[in-house]
Parts: sequence; structure tokens; C-alpha cells
Amino acid sequence: MDRRSARRRIYRDRHLYLLLTPVLIYFFIWHYIPIWGARIAFQDVKYIGENTWAGLKHFRILFSSPVFFRVFMNTITISAMKIFFFFPLPILLAFLLNEITSSGLRKGVQSIIYLPHFLSWVVIAGIFISLLQSPDGALNQLLGLFGIAPVAFMTSTSHIRWVFVGSEIWRSIGWDSILYIAAINNISLELYDAATVDGATKLQQALKITLPCILPTIITVFILNMGFFMNAGFDQVFNMMNDAVINHVDIIDTYVYRIGLGKGNFSLGTAAGLFKGVIGLVLILSTDRLSRKVTGEGVW
Amino acid sequence: MVGRRRNTRRSSVGQLLLAALMIAISLVMLYPIYNQLVISLTGPEFIAQADGSTIIPRGFTLQTYAGVLSIPKVYRGLFNSFFITFAGLLVNVTLTSMGAYVLTKRDLLGRNIFMSLIVITMIFEGGLIPDYFLMKNLGLLNSYTSVIMYKAINPYYLIILMRFFDKVPKSLMESARLDGCSEIGILFRIVIPVSMAGIATISLFYGVFHWNEYFRAMIYLTDEARYPLQVVLRELIVSMEKASFVGAKNYVQMSTRAAALDFKAIKAALIILAIVPILLFYPFVLKYYVKGRLQGAVKE
Repeated sequence: MDRRSARRRIYRDRHLYLLLTPVLIYFFIWHYIPIWGARIAFQDVKYIGENTWAGLKHFRILFSSPVFFRVFMNTITISAMKIFFFFPLPILLAFLLNEITSSGLRKGVQSIIYLPHFLSWVVIAGIFISLLQSPDGALNQLLGLFGIAPVAFMTSTSHIRWVFVGSEIWRSIGWDSILYIAAINNISLELYDAATVDGATKLQQALKITLPCILPTIITVFILNMGFFMNAGFDQVFNMMNDAVINHVDIIDTYVYRIGLGKGNFSLGTAAGLFKGVIGLVLILSTDRLSRKVTGEGVW
Repeated sequence: MVGRRRNTRRSSVGQLLLAALMIAISLVMLYPIYNQLVISLTGPEFIAQADGSTIIPRGFTLQTYAGVLSIPKVYRGLFNSFFITFAGLLVNVTLTSMGAYVLTKRDLLGRNIFMSLIVITMIFEGGLIPDYFLMKNLGLLNSYTSVIMYKAINPYYLIILMRFFDKVPKSLMESARLDGCSEIGILFRIVIPVSMAGIATISLFYGVFHWNEYFRAMIYLTDEARYPLQVVLRELIVSMEKASFVGAKNYVQMSTRAAALDFKAIKAALIILAIVPILLFYPFVLKYYVKGRLQGAVKE
């Protein structure tokens, strides 16, 4: 590029650069300095003097630690359970909502089911702890009507992960259906009219028209979810965990917090966080590639 | 979100079943919250029997709220939450608008580089421990600045705001420029007033985020008097007992009010207090937030 014209353009836009400066300073300080700061995963933190390089020492400690292995498996298990049991539900809900003919009912239902998404996980944990209390929580009272003995869900190692799946459904089924509802609304009505003329049933229409038409949306949402797979829902786990179930619910992010900030093992905690980040990146890139191959469309 | 009627055979039995299912789902969404409201309004003589199956508050009273609001932690927490939310919003909206305005200028030299630098931070992050060290090194621990500036600009919301700014007529800005208006003047006197829907959308995004944020406040703030309501509520949920929450000293001093309260009533009242601001803004949330979510999902 012509240097003089470049300089002229910069001079012309000097006020714009001035406006952008605080924004760039923010990203530099609050985002790029911590990215550089993550190098302590490869260092030994010294309280006096400079940190010393430790190579992959902390990663070796991490990978040979049975605790981290358990944490890793918990993360994968909880995330996989959510993908398997939660992911299809908003799609199903969108199909059902779309079938409602009364627009008043549909709008009313939509505005109610979005609500839990706007509550903090602290609030949701508080609500669920009391909902699932044994024996006087609402769910145990309900089960009691069917003669089922009360269960202490929050402190039961065999139930707590299902509590995560259940509270995720409660919080997100409505909100996550929004994108699918929008995608269904974009489908041309003529397709359905033609199918009706041909005598296709509602179920056939759903499977042969609606599903293929919203498949790109489903895949996009799925890939984005894969990017968050290693998160497994920190805020949810952090607020719902207790000593009775910790071995079954401790995930990488809660481990980073406990080991890193709680016990002051900064390098080990950062190493665990970095490891999680790298897996997340690999997951999102490979699902994107897979999606391009299968559907000819990626996320970006 | 526009519902569409299809000229298919309407099966009224099917519609009835669907309506019943939707109402059942809505009840599942609302009941756990409603139950907390009931418990928070139940009179002291009936609170022991109040549980998950209580539908009407017996001995209706606002005493619990009066008592809870007399606990210093709680009224300070409420005040702190409002302060953090409003101060945060001011910073969020100012910085995000500045960034969005400049980055909508497609012919700005270096624009794509700036954009990439911002988008990269959506994928890579330093993590919890480097973030914590940054606050420590900047001397921002126990300062509201650390909480207010956390995620001061969300790249995702910035991109959404850019879509709104793109729609502002170029002629409007051009005539202001000819009248001698500066770039900052154009942004604050023309672009922002014309894009109020966009400002409302990102304000709700950021507002809900600040109101619900607890984790960074919990780790950055060391003085309990600075805790926002969510951290106070979390403390109560985790501690599971009243004495440590109300405080041994306060316990004696406030024997008439807070100390006389039932633990589950205190918890329920705090949960409701944390939800009320969300409910107050909920009509706007439905109007702007939902649309914004769809705008964010549109691929470029």
C-alpha cells in the first residue's frame, strides 16, 4: 500500500483511533495479559524473586495424579450425560410449540419457560436444594403420593449427576429452543402445503420436512456445545456440590479453583485449565471439520 | 417468534393434549419459584409445617422480609449488587458503543486486525488463576473496579451492537460531520439515540450478567461488607445454618427480628429478593433479549 495515502487515512481517521484506544487497552490488559500470564503453568512460582521455568513438570504431576484422572472422567461423564439427555429436548419442544395453533397459548408458554434462564446458578441451586430436600421437598412429596420412599438427592452419589441433568433441563430447555423455533419459522409454508396435498401425516411432515430443514441449525448448536464440552457447567456444579458427593461431581474447573486458588497451587491449577482449553479447542475444530464434510457447512 | 397457522386438518384432541402438556411444563418451571415465595410469606407459627407441598402461605406475613432486610449483610448486599450492576452497565455500554462505532467503519485502516484481536479473546483465555494474579498485580483486589471491569466488553455483544449501528443511515452521520460535529459527538448524539433498541438489548445482556455474577466477586473481594447479594445468598446456601449467617453478635442483638426467623424462610426470602429485579425487567427482556439472541445467531 502507498505509504503516504495510508498515513493520510490514519490522519483522517485520527478521532476514530482515539475512540478505539480505550477498547484496545481494555482487551490488552484484561485479556492478553492473562493469556501471557498463563505461562506459570510451565513455571515454578517463587514468592521471592523471579519464577523459574519448570517445563512440563506440572503437566506430568497432573497426568500421574489419580485425583485429576477422576476429575477428568467426571467432566466427561457429566458433559456427555447432558449432551445425550438434554440436547434433543429443546428441539423436541420447538416441534411441539410449533404445532400449537393458539398464538396466545404459545406466547404465554414461551414467556414462562424462558424465565429460569435468567436466574443465577446460586439462585437455582437454592431452589433445587429445597425442591429436592428429603423428606419434605416438593419432589419427594410428589413421589410419596406414589408410595416411593424419600431420596436425599443432593447428597446421594447415584443421583447427584441426574440432578445436574434435571436442573439443566429446567433452566435451559425453553431458552435453547428459541433458535430452533426461529429456524422452523423460516421454513417455507409451501413445503407443508404440498405435503398435506400428498396426504403426509404430521409425523411424516416433522421427520421429512422440518427436521431436514433445521438440521444445519442443530449441527451449529451442537458444534458450539462441543466447544463448551470440557466446561461441564462450572457454576452449576460449584453451587450444587457438597462434601458427600464431591468425588462424583468434581470437574476440571472446580479442581482448578480448589487446587489453584484454594490451596495456592497456582502452576498446577493453571496447567489443568490450559489442558482443558486445548481439548476444548481441538473438539470445536474437529467437529467443525466433520460438519463441513457431512453437511458442507461449518460454523464459521 | 411469529407463529404461523397452517391450513392443515386441526385435530382438536391433539391440540387439547398439547395444551395440557404445555401447561404442565409451565407449571414445572414456575412451581419451584412459587414454592419459595410461599415459604417466604408464611407466618412464624406455621413455618415449621411449610414444605414443598405448601401452596398457600398460612399466617401470611411480610415479617421475614422485614427481618432479612435488617441483616446488615443483606441490605448491604442488595445495595452492592445495584451499585455493581449500574456502574458496570455504564462502563459496558460506553466502551462497547465506542468499539462498535469505530469497527463499523469498514474502510478504517487496520480494522480487520483490531476485529481479529477482539474475536481471538472469545476463543483463548488466560483462565481463572492468571486473571486473579492480574487483579492482584494491579492492586484491584477488594476493589469494585475488579468486579465492574470483569468482561467490560463482551465481543459477542459488541458484534450484536455493530449490527444495530450498521443500520444507522450514513447520510445522517455525514450531515452531522459537515456541521462540524466530532466523531464522539456523532456517536453520542446521533448513532446511540438512533439505535436505542440495540442499546437496550446489550444493556439487558450486561445487566442480567452483572446482577447474577457471584464468582469473581467472591474471589476478588475480600471484605465481606462489599459482597453483592448473590455471594451473600451463596454463603447462606452453603453454610446451611442460621447462626453463622446472621452472625453470632447480630444473633443476640437482633433477637427480635432476624434471630427469630426460620432458616428456610430466610433462604426463601433471599432467593425471591434475588429474582425480583429480573422479574421487574422481564417484559423488556422478552422484547429485546430474545431478539438479540437471534441476531447473535445469524451467521455473517
